[in-house]
Amino acid sequence: MQSDIDKPPSWWGVFDQKNGQCRQCCVGPLRLIVRSLNGVWQVAYERQDDADEVNATWEVKDTDQLPESLENNSRYVFRKPSGLLTITPLLADRSIITRPHSPFSLTAGEDVTLYVSTPLWMELAVGTPKKVLEEIAIQRPSDTWFGPSTLEGELCYASTTHCRLNLDELPRRPHRAITPVYIRNQADTTLSVERLNVPAPLLALYAAENGQLWTPKITLIREKDGDMAELKIDNKPPEEAKQAVQLSKPRMTASGGALIRAFNAVFS
Amino acid sequence: MNEYWADLVNFLSSDKIWSMTRAILLLVVGVAFAKLASTTIAKLVEKMADSHRAMLLKRGSYYLILILFLISALHELGFNLSVLLGAAGIFTVAIGFASQTSASNLISGLFLVAERPFGVGDVIRVGTTTGEVLSIDLLSVKLRTFDNLFVRIPNESLIKSEVTTLTRFPIRRIDVQVGVAYKEDLKKVRELLDQVADKNPLCLEEPKPLYIFLGFGDSSLNIQYSVWAKRENFLELKNSIHEEIKNAFDEHGIEIPFPHRTIYTGSVTEPFPITTVNKKD
Repeated sequence: MQSDIDKPPSWWGVFDQKNGQCRQCCVGPLRLIVRSLNGVWQVAYERQDDADEVNATWEVKDTDQLPESLENNSRYVFRKPSGLLTITPLLADRSIITRPHSPFSLTAGEDVTLYVSTPLWMELAVGTPKKVLEEIAIQRPSDTWFGPSTLEGELCYASTTHCRLNLDELPRRPHRAITPVYIRNQADTTLSVERLNVPAPLLALYAAENGQLWTPKITLIREKDGDMAELKIDNKPPEEAKQAVQLSKPRMTASGGALIRAFNAVFS
Repeated sequence: MNEYWADLVNFLSSDKIWSMTRAILLLVVGVAFAKLASTTIAKLVEKMADSHRAMLLKRGSYYLILILFLISALHELGFNLSVLLGAAGIFTVAIGFASQTSASNLISGLFLVAERPFGVGDVIRVGTTTGEVLSIDLLSVKLRTFDNLFVRIPNESLIKSEVTTLTRFPIRRIDVQVGVAYKEDLKKVRELLDQVADKNPLCLEEPKPLYIFLGFGDSSLNIQYSVWAKRENFLELKNSIHEEIKNAFDEHGIEIPFPHRTIYTGSVTEPFPITTVNKKD
């Protein structure tokens, strides 16, 4: 059992839930209350619009507040009551579009590593084997369109934060994961980076020793002809994440190790 | 009576009865086989093709198999097929004149299938009717409107008229028409509209919302603010964005005016005198 005194090491993991106990999980702007009562699991949540985005914190504790008091409320009925609640962080189900603080250019032959902060989802599951109740976006990102025209492209999420050239400039937040993106321009012309497409469904999620969440490094190589971009995703945690353990697998599996994408499907 | 009896016996003992039985048998087997084969084909291609193509293939294979069995049955009955086909030519002309509308619908149906402006499951708007396409048949297209009515639209009128497919592209634009009072600062109004769009997660960040100043209206400055949404979220955003704009305007004291009438008595006259009178019973 978790209490105020012995704080769990992270907001994810397996929690033992007593019959009738109300557990509150606050991560960044999301406040979630879960209760199991005689085989009925109640999940309720709300998001604070004016939450402090930079100094976001997390907390998992018992509460007296009932799930009914929150805005979004759902109930799940099980024949066999189970007291195990598993909370897993997940990456977005669509690609994330991020912008640098101000657009920059990469001249021919240059390379750079960007750090992108991507929003997370929370998967709630109960019992063994796990039965998934629902997935909740910790912070609902805005929808966006990424493509050369309104006819051609894909629906993505827009990141609320900018990608950074320096890792230290990126605030560490419990409800976001960091993705290192290495870009090399092998073409003869200058590459202008205004928006970047991070394929979140193809990425696994790792937790570093200090609790920071990371995704594998993405390598983007603009090829010589300039029209195509080679996309490589590592199958190990990035070097920056010390002693990282995998928390969740990619939602989608990429065919083969390297993907060739149209240039305008990655950059714009 | 005996004559009839003798005729019947002669008929039954002749080869004709056997060829007729064989022809009927062929037709029955043909119908069953065509149904079975077309259903199997449709099930096989269901995973690979969309429902529209699966339906087309099902119907096509059904009629092809049926026609083959019908030809065999006619052959069994002793019809000379070359003569029959020649006669069919003349017959077709006659039928064509007699059933111009049906023929026109049929041909239009073939063009519709080839052009494929929409498929089964798409939402289309024809004239004032908007609905989901249930099936595309040889003579007509069947729709289910959103108030759950069944509408049959002849193919000919579909070919002739303007058809809008609402579900072709994944994103749609919502045009919000809003008027603000003449006293308002348009820069501030624009900033507020951008803030509202930015806060709403259903409103697409890119393509960027479009701000158009429509002109000086009778009582307001008219603005069109267009935002983009995922097709499935169209209605939800349409409702929420209007509500949020109204709330933001109320909060910042921006007036959305209703038509004003100023009664003017000429430049040299005094304003109308107004006296309040207490009404007594």
